[in-house]
Amino acid sequence: MPSIGTIVFGTLHSMRMTMRNVFSKANTVPYPRKKRPIPGQWRAGSFALTSDPRTGEENCIGCRLCEYICPSEIIKVTLRKGEARKNGIGATYCDVFVLDYQACMQCELCIQVCPTDAIVMTRALAPAVTTREGLLLTKERLMQNGQKLLASPELCSEATPSKIREWTDPVRGLPKPEETT
Amino acid sequence: MSALFTGWIGAAVLSGIVIAGAMTCVAYMTWLERKFVARMQNRIGPYEVGYPHGWLQPMADVAKLLIKEDITPRAADKILFNLAPILVVVPALVGFAFLPLGRRLAIVDHPYSFLFFTAFASLSLLGIFAAGWSSNNKYALLSALRMVAMAASYEVPMILSLLVPALLTGSFRLTAVVEAQQGLWFIGYPVIGQVAFGIFLLCALAEGNKSPLDILEAESELVAAYNVEYSGIKFALFYAGEYAHTLAICGLGATVFLGGYLGPAFLPGFVWLLLKCVALFLFILWIRWSLMRMRIDQAVRIMWMFLLPASLVNLLLSAYWVVGR
Amino acid sequence: MSGGPIEVVERDFGELALNMGPQHPSTHGVLRLILHLSGETVIKAIPVIGYLHRGVEKLSEHLAYDQLAPVYERDDYLAPTANSNAYVLAVERLGAIAVPRRAQWLRAFVSEWQRVSSHLVWLGTLGLDLGGALGGGTTLYMYCFREREKILDFLEELTGTRFHTNFNLVGGVRYDLDAAMVAKSNALAASVEAALPEFWAMSGGNPIFQERTRNVGVISKDLAMGVGITGPTLRASGINYDVRKAAPYDAYDELPFEVVTRTAGDAEARFQVRMEEIGVSLKLVRTIANGLPTGPIFTRKPLKNPKATKLPKGEVYAAVESPRGELGFHIVSDGSARPYRLKINAPSFKNLQIVPHILPGGLVADVVAILGSLDPVLGDVDR
Repeated sequence: MPSIGTIVFGTLHSMRMTMRNVFSKANTVPYPRKKRPIPGQWRAGSFALTSDPRTGEENCIGCRLCEYICPSEIIKVTLRKGEARKNGIGATYCDVFVLDYQACMQCELCIQVCPTDAIVMTRALAPAVTTREGLLLTKERLMQNGQKLLASPELCSEATPSKIREWTDPVRGLPKPEETT
Repeated sequence: MSALFTGWIGAAVLSGIVIAGAMTCVAYMTWLERKFVARMQNRIGPYEVGYPHGWLQPMADVAKLLIKEDITPRAADKILFNLAPILVVVPALVGFAFLPLGRRLAIVDHPYSFLFFTAFASLSLLGIFAAGWSSNNKYALLSALRMVAMAASYEVPMILSLLVPALLTGSFRLTAVVEAQQGLWFIGYPVIGQVAFGIFLLCALAEGNKSPLDILEAESELVAAYNVEYSGIKFALFYAGEYAHTLAICGLGATVFLGGYLGPAFLPGFVWLLLKCVALFLFILWIRWSLMRMRIDQAVRIMWMFLLPASLVNLLLSAYWVVGR
Repeated sequence: MSGGPIEVVERDFGELALNMGPQHPSTHGVLRLILHLSGETVIKAIPVIGYLHRGVEKLSEHLAYDQLAPVYERDDYLAPTANSNAYVLAVERLGAIAVPRRAQWLRAFVSEWQRVSSHLVWLGTLGLDLGGALGGGTTLYMYCFREREKILDFLEELTGTRFHTNFNLVGGVRYDLDAAMVAKSNALAASVEAALPEFWAMSGGNPIFQERTRNVGVISKDLAMGVGITGPTLRASGINYDVRKAAPYDAYDELPFEVVTRTAGDAEARFQVRMEEIGVSLKLVRTIANGLPTGPIFTRKPLKNPKATKLPKGEVYAAVESPRGELGFHIVSDGSARPYRLKINAPSFKNLQIVPHILPGGLVADVVAILGSLDPVLGDVDR
């Protein structure tokens, strides 16, 4: 049993700390009124399929790499052969592209593997939906998101242009991929 | 003013006003507690319901609790289970009948009003025990058993410390106790006043179920303790009863130690009483939200081995003071 | 009746079996404890686990090596990076994959930040256990989460997500630290350090807290070794074992730090060890941020098809010191792109084995104090 003095002193010390905080600034962010700044790397947003702004052709070549890498196995892609693109990235397209956003864990692996930077992440909060089907991102929805990204580039996450390209940035002193292969 | 409230009708009108006032106070005590605690914890507390600072939050809480499903467990003792919330609320409210709200203004001005007040304030515990026993839940049962052990421990030093103002006044009439503090509040009496107030405050924490002595409602151990099976309006009654109880205890402390309705004349007496109640309530909240909970054996040990002897010695000292005066 | 001796009948009122959990505010998730009580004294305690079992070990036999790191971050959900760190260490060891020095330092950096944030959650929930949701416990909890929130914001700025950072890749890390982030990290360390006296005043410096934790749930040295507990719980019993010192991984062979130990073995000692570890980790993040070696952070070929990464046939075990203790991954490879078998050596699981030994004899109030001081994470226990 500690002495009475210790008890009283310790108690008053705790109470002094709490009273000091009464006069400090609140940490609460009143969310809908005031929005928190979203950092550049942010990758908790929704997805988009990009298209080439010059020719308007979609970038996805239907290679299914994102489907293979996804740990949650929520991406489904089928390949369709078509006419050759004008910007020269091949003649294959995705026929079906479905991303089940319900089970996405935002690991960003699909964006890393994409060879044409077709699938990207947006820097805006994913809109709330009322049905489960609303979270099933089909190709049409993803393309729409891509159009929005083209219209307002500030929605692009910094993670959006594939990280692979960033690693090859000579300014940061990182090796180019062909050096390591 | 007091002439208005004489006879049966006057008493009925006054008690109506007091009950309505007390229930409003109880509702806004929850708001006050949430705001104060939020500031203590670097938050802002209720804000959106009743836009600046959530002043409609208590009303929303009451409305929500009223429309929630009212569940009675199949295995519960139904009569006692439904009676328990009433047993908690009613004694706490009856206690206010004895509280002097102004000069010669009390619903009942009985020669033993002091004793009646403390007796009614403690009667709520019966409802808590009934709730704990009748819920047929092991957590609730443990809480009821803890309540018995705790009540037996803290009631004795509490009454002994409350005897000090009565002894100094020479009367058990609460109005007389207040009038005797015209010169000096009883908390101002050297040593005996402060010791008695300190012991009273500790016991008030236990009586009002406030941390560090909220042992019978220890929700991290016993989930929600005696009201674990209650929902809807019955839970609301428990909640209201707990705060009415706290308000009654604060009122008692303000009356017998802090001069009750006495104060400079620019405000009416009951406003002074309310202000002192709120100040005492905030002080109790400050203690409550700053300290961890004691274990039951530690609490009981402190009550019997420290507070009881201290309050006895204090009572002897005040008797010596009275004799020597 | 008259004159005869008074016969004292001793009645045995039996035991009260109390099911504490899986839904209980103080069992840190979904732990279920079957407590046999006599009055309020615990006679017997049986922990029942498995309510959060997600079959991660079986799942990993189905996914490729490159896919798995983010999956394990969901195991111990208070220190996700420690999990993926242990996993990538094991894969790199078996596949003899080189990791750049800067990447190793960065791994240690994020691990230490997450250790601080994990210990802050532990301290806040210990406060909730001891002080209740309607008392001083919540106040301590809010102070802890105020500081933790800053750490999560920092990690969000560094990696893009607040919590499951997915920072570690096989062969390196994914995000780099620039000069602005180094300055932010140092400022953050100073701010958390400034809040430590506040935590101490609310918890360890408070006599009620001391009385609640002192001589409660004492784990002797022999018992600790016999049951095989690990981490701060083990160090509080006087055994100086820290994987960061005993088998250095990442950059810990170059980093100077002290291993905190206590000898008492009670809940207070465990509390003190973790509190001091917060300070040690804050010193470490400063050292790392200011002394980062230059160079690349990832030297493997960029990720393409996950089936292309194959490990040689064999077995490997790699362990890291997670905030809860030694966290190890044992991988058996049959030469394909997927693990043949993967076993996680989880610290919370090992620490929970002590519960039947130290709970009996205490009160119900001690049960929550002891559980809080053990800091189990049920996602780590059940996996």
